[in-house]
Amino acid sequence: MAPITTENAALRVSPYHDGGAPQTGAELIAANPYRPWPARITSIQQLTEHEKLFEFRFIDENIRNAFHHAPGQFVELSIFGVGEAPISISSSPSKSGFIELCVRRAGEFTQRLHEMQCGDIVGIRGPYGRPFPFELMKGHDVLLVAGGLGIAPLRSLINNIHDERSEFGKVTIIYGSRSPQEVMFRDQFEMWRHRKDFDLYLTVDHPDDTWDGEVGLVTKPFQHLQVDADRTFGAVCGPPVMYKFVVQEMRNKGISYDRIYMSFERHMKCGMGKCGHCQIGHQYCCIDGPVFNYWEAKNIQGSM
Amino acid sequence: MSETVSLHGKRPRVIIIGLASCFGCQLQITNMEPHLLELLDQIDLVHWQLASSDPLPEAFDIAVVEGAVTTKEALETLRKVRRRASAVITIGACAATAGIPGMASRDFDDQVESVYGAEVPVAAGSLVRPMAVSAVIPVDWEVRCCPIDPADFMMALQRFLTGSNRLAPTATLCGECKRNERGCFYGRGQLCLGLVTRSGCGARCPNLGRPCNGCAGVSPDANVAAARVLAEEAGVPAQRFDVALQLFNATNEDVCPSGAR
Amino acid sequence: MLYRVIDDQELPALVEAFMEDYEVIAPVRSGASYAFHHVDSFDQIELDYTTTITSLKKYVLPPKETLFTFDADANEVTDFSLTVRPRVIFGAHACDINALNSLDLVFEDSRYRDPYYEARREGLLIVGISCSPTETCFCHLMEADEARTGYDLFLQDIGGRYLVSIGSVTGANVLESACNPREATDEDRIAFRQATRKRQDSFNKDIPDVQEIAMLMDAFHSDPFWDELGSRCLACTACSSVCPTCYCFDIADVLDADGRTGRRERVWDACTSPQFAMVTGGHNFRDSNRNRVRHRMYHKLNGFLATHDRMLCTGCGRCVRACKAHISPIEVLKFFEEKGA
Repeated sequence: MAPITTENAALRVSPYHDGGAPQTGAELIAANPYRPWPARITSIQQLTEHEKLFEFRFIDENIRNAFHHAPGQFVELSIFGVGEAPISISSSPSKSGFIELCVRRAGEFTQRLHEMQCGDIVGIRGPYGRPFPFELMKGHDVLLVAGGLGIAPLRSLINNIHDERSEFGKVTIIYGSRSPQEVMFRDQFEMWRHRKDFDLYLTVDHPDDTWDGEVGLVTKPFQHLQVDADRTFGAVCGPPVMYKFVVQEMRNKGISYDRIYMSFERHMKCGMGKCGHCQIGHQYCCIDGPVFNYWEAKNIQGSM
Repeated sequence: MSETVSLHGKRPRVIIIGLASCFGCQLQITNMEPHLLELLDQIDLVHWQLASSDPLPEAFDIAVVEGAVTTKEALETLRKVRRRASAVITIGACAATAGIPGMASRDFDDQVESVYGAEVPVAAGSLVRPMAVSAVIPVDWEVRCCPIDPADFMMALQRFLTGSNRLAPTATLCGECKRNERGCFYGRGQLCLGLVTRSGCGARCPNLGRPCNGCAGVSPDANVAAARVLAEEAGVPAQRFDVALQLFNATNEDVCPSGAR
Repeated sequence: MLYRVIDDQELPALVEAFMEDYEVIAPVRSGASYAFHHVDSFDQIELDYTTTITSLKKYVLPPKETLFTFDADANEVTDFSLTVRPRVIFGAHACDINALNSLDLVFEDSRYRDPYYEARREGLLIVGISCSPTETCFCHLMEADEARTGYDLFLQDIGGRYLVSIGSVTGANVLESACNPREATDEDRIAFRQATRKRQDSFNKDIPDVQEIAMLMDAFHSDPFWDELGSRCLACTACSSVCPTCYCFDIADVLDADGRTGRRERVWDACTSPQFAMVTGGHNFRDSNRNRVRHRMYHKLNGFLATHDRMLCTGCGRCVRACKAHISPIEVLKFFEEKGA
């Protein structure tokens, strides 16, 4: 593949600044940040009627080894000809070699992705964005609140905490869905429900006969919570309307502005703070976020 | 959401039909000469009205429709097409907005009488007030303009063969015109419909020195009220602006309300 | 800053010297206005131009460019080579040089350097030229009326001769090879002071200087003023097309006729475009002209300042001319001026 050059040799411009071709995966990725790398779908799990969990592995070993993400980050997924879409990573960084993306069938691109099968190849570039402050959260209680598809990025954080459980204090998870049919990762939650070291509240707006969890909005379980505000971090992800209410509940419990973290959804087209699509006020969701703390969010026009 | 046509590896069966129109958009497809064969390679063209008088086939996957709906027969055809096709693509202004045939929607009965007299000939069909295709059946994609750009047609077909996450643009035309580094007709007191017309064509006419006549149709995000005021300011009476809009938007209730007819 | 003086008779030789190694881009007549365009001779250049319809950004961020080609069957990138033609912009105004400096902050951000922009920018020389403000110019209010960096040469007209600021070795070499630059005299220096003072005095005084504009953009974020501006907006994006610092773009795939190969393009986009902030599923985070117009003004007059410590708006006045609805930063300045009256 030819590097970027000018016609005039004296003005040769190359992404490979020392002249040589890139060797390591990190150098390959940096050489052209717009270039997606081929990744194979290695597993597909139907989570609900509209959501599937895809597992991808980079085909190039160098790229696979160079790809490191943190919970809350996202990738740009390519199906060549169809286009590109930002999708948050659902798997924990503690498991390497593959990434999992939870995708709702909601538009042209995701429709096409849902039609794909194991073994099919897509393009992936990233990871992008400021993640949840995992290291900062260590030694603290964590209160995680997800609504609907918001569980996708939070699952990365939840699983990461799970894998380093002893580093954290009390861990509480509240996950709200519209109906029992829309609850994702049910097996995983079912397993955790019986563990003493996770406090789990599943709630739905519209229950059916089989539902034995909470009924009501995602804010409802807050009435049961005993929160030690001085040693608690909050993490929130869900539909746009949810933030205001959940954050207020967390504030009511006394959690500090700068310890309430939330992940925002926007259309990150480039992922690199340039294309402008994901701008919120003066910030770029893709490089300044998507994870912001409440203090930062309050200072961004149009964030909530 | 329009879905890619599921074919299990087979080439999609495509039909191309024409309703009330000049057939110019179908001709535009043949004008794709350098690429036509490549495109035909990817589809199974089972019926093309321009080249055949055979009846509509029983089975097909993608229907390409040119022209406005002006007869009961056309209504029937469209309903039949919609039942059989997994994707319907319209081509041209007549199909997208009722276009030129749509101009007859104003004082429809009088117009019919002035053309045909008391008795409408059988060959004209059972006339109905002209309509856009989307007013009759759900349409998956509209290739706009009069005539269409063959490249847009190609992209529309590929949208159903491969899929695409591109949206149909809803910004109005002046932005594209400025990219062409053009001055503005209004600066010279001339009427141009670019103010409210959907972008996507690249502002081709203004780039050739002709004001936009609105063939892409008024954008759903257009601000017609503001545009009328601005036209007045530039010395173009709002009434002239309204009349110009009727050329390609006569059946658009928001733009040319029937109360005003 | 190193500076020398050349005679205005020497300009053709300077342009010709650049032509040996570079494509020369310069202001030329275009209808009733001007445009930056390729020139073949000095005679085509209109150095006393007012302003151009669009800006210089097209030379570093083309309206449409291919990022790479791909094979859709294999789902792989096939090529991302790019050939850049070395160019010189001959006759850029200070506002436009400052605009390019702002674009550099975005596209040469060390976190993600943009190789396409970088290649074009590295192949670009800038020769600036002094100007006198038109009635829509307010660069002085945006601190963009002087270019402190970002040029190879800057020509200040001091009456029959130019005081040339030399910004790069390449600029110095071309200048020395083509002209006979001489040391400036006291008379030259005084002429320079008079020329700049004359420029500073000739700005349109109806455009108010609102020093705390950035703070006000926050404070009056919910003012009904934005509803009124939004009610006029035509959603055409002409403002962004002509703006020298609107750098937003869309990324989209285009298939070739064979349906197997294709290219990924980036195309100018605009935050004033109705669907700009729409996410999959249809939710639009800026769903009205009011919110979109306000966001654009906010980024120009506050947002960029907050993150890069300089106004993104350069006060070039292009959007003032391009917007049929008379929506422009000048309207915003006037609104704030009246608020305090």
